[in-house]
Amino acid sequence: MDLKPMLKPESVAIIGASRDQDKVGHVILQNYINAGYSGRLYAVNKAADEIMGIKAYPSVLKIRDRIDLAVIAIPAQFVPEAMEECGRAKVKSVIVVSGGFAEIGNKDLQDRLVGIAEKYSMPTLGPNCLGVMDPRSRVDTLFLPTYKLSRPQVGGVSFVCQSGAVGSTVLDLISGEGFGLSKFISYGNAAHIDEVDILNYLMEDDETKVIILYVEGIKRGREFIEVAKRITRKKPVVVLKAGRTVAGQAAAHSHTAALAGNYEAHEAIFRQYGFTIAEDLSDLLNFAKILDSEPFPKGNSIGVVTNGGGAGVLVADAIGMSESLVLGGFSNKNTEFLRKSMPPLVNIRNPLDLAGDADGARYDEALQVMGSDDNIDMVLAIILFQTPGTDSKTAAKAISFKEKMSKPMIVLSVGSEYTEMHKIMMESAGLPVYSSPSAAVRSLAELLKYANYRNKK
Amino acid sequence: MTGKLMPLLDYFEGKKLLDRHGIKSVASRYVDSAESAVEFSEGDPIVLKLISGKALHKSKSGLVKLDLRGTEIKRAFAELQEKGKPLKPYRIIAQKMSKGGVEVIMGGRTDPQFGKLILLGLGGIYVEVFKDFALRACPITKQDAEEMIAQLKSRDVITFNGKNSGMVIQLLLSVSKMLMDNCRIDEIDLNPLILRENGYEAVDIRILTK
Repeated sequence: MDLKPMLKPESVAIIGASRDQDKVGHVILQNYINAGYSGRLYAVNKAADEIMGIKAYPSVLKIRDRIDLAVIAIPAQFVPEAMEECGRAKVKSVIVVSGGFAEIGNKDLQDRLVGIAEKYSMPTLGPNCLGVMDPRSRVDTLFLPTYKLSRPQVGGVSFVCQSGAVGSTVLDLISGEGFGLSKFISYGNAAHIDEVDILNYLMEDDETKVIILYVEGIKRGREFIEVAKRITRKKPVVVLKAGRTVAGQAAAHSHTAALAGNYEAHEAIFRQYGFTIAEDLSDLLNFAKILDSEPFPKGNSIGVVTNGGGAGVLVADAIGMSESLVLGGFSNKNTEFLRKSMPPLVNIRNPLDLAGDADGARYDEALQVMGSDDNIDMVLAIILFQTPGTDSKTAAKAISFKEKMSKPMIVLSVGSEYTEMHKIMMESAGLPVYSSPSAAVRSLAELLKYANYRNKK
Repeated sequence: MTGKLMPLLDYFEGKKLLDRHGIKSVASRYVDSAESAVEFSEGDPIVLKLISGKALHKSKSGLVKLDLRGTEIKRAFAELQEKGKPLKPYRIIAQKMSKGGVEVIMGGRTDPQFGKLILLGLGGIYVEVFKDFALRACPITKQDAEEMIAQLKSRDVITFNGKNSGMVIQLLLSVSKMLMDNCRIDEIDLNPLILRENGYEAVDIRILTK
């Protein structure tokens, strides 16, 4: 199914656009205006001539323009009629934001919607969804005010989400991360367009480098396997499957009317076809971040540099507990170099503890070794900003190193405001920063796993 | 695997199906008297099992008598006959006792979404205790089979530190092919299947058909 008219529309009609600020249709139109959408925008409202300066029409049939996308935000019982009009007006794609369909037992009403979508070959997203966001084309059908939900910057990560609430929450979190968004697609009840269609589209989408997928239940299993086999050959997919326990599955049923399939079966499929499996929401961000910015490692050995002994031990523990990663040794030449350049209190071993008074210059020498030593495949720099020697110059050193480095490199910085400020600084320069040893090490392990998958099959 | 009440394939039809796919199982025969069980044993230790559609968990219900010789065979046969009264119709099967090795489960089921799935895990009672199993969608490739083994915590136990990996991989591929070739199979349990350094045999076969 071609989702381009939905994601890159040249003209959009908001059906249910309203002057009433409490109406979903009002927020959607407002957001289109706020986002600076540059295409042709129309409001459809039976009772108004004009809304927020946009000309309003009583029906989509009255608009004398080809409409690429109609966003429908009206009560469920009126949706079929509105869709029928869209079909007759040759609208190219539809998003049904409205709820009140299969998720509350109104399966017949949903079937009518699917019937109309099929009759007119009109790709239809939803119902019961947030719709789409594409920061490049400035399309934003979310009915959530921008002051409540920050919008992420432009980037290469596409986020596909069955649940609207999880979608908006994670989107808000993504906006606080260093990576940017390519597409957000919330597909709700998956009545017409489902995850298989969306993955097929994103697989070929050059703007998408990494995909985050949140699913409750996959309906077309065999078709999913077909796209799963191909998509991870081209780009990583980080997946979180809700409905792990029997209780969780019952909840999924009442939520998006999805038949949440057996978790183990889903996990088996994801594993078999090289998906990166997240255990919770924070994994989605942690794994997507490293897959988005870092090159594939050549091997499994980690070089750790730190200005805190304890943090180094925690990281070494996490590496020891991982099934796949090891701490690398340094070459004789590099060991010699470090002996000469480091103060006597620095023990020359991995993790390399630069001591609490380490400054940018000491990090610089240590990172040079990590970058050049063939025994090190990935670099984990622990920078604790609470110590006297570390400041913005240390962060700047790490950034300038990152720019030259051909190996994967990430930073672990644990702390609050001062640390957070430097995290933003480093991440916006494309250096992923993690806030816990296990998150950092697990992310490196997932990067390696995906690299191995790509290199093998 | 889950046990909805579905048609249970006759043990020997199941055994023939395994034979056709080159999957070895332990020597077995239906016996209708204690004497025929003794005759089957040829002096070797044997196992007697009562098979009934009304009792899916044989060992939990005390319907499996292990390592029987001489007079033990007669006593066990009489005991099973007694236990079988409420489980009619039933049959009693005699098998050569399979000793040593590691018990694994190799199984399959039909998932409503993804179709045929294949499972390998540490078997016998451990499959439920440790839940150490790997699952894949069929048909699997050689590499999938390798990864299934690698995924298990018990991988070194099952493969005797890698010595019989090739055999286990081949076995997984055979079971996957059998699942794909026989659409009537809804669920299958080969549990236990006994792996040794130099060989293997399926000791119990349970196949549910659609």
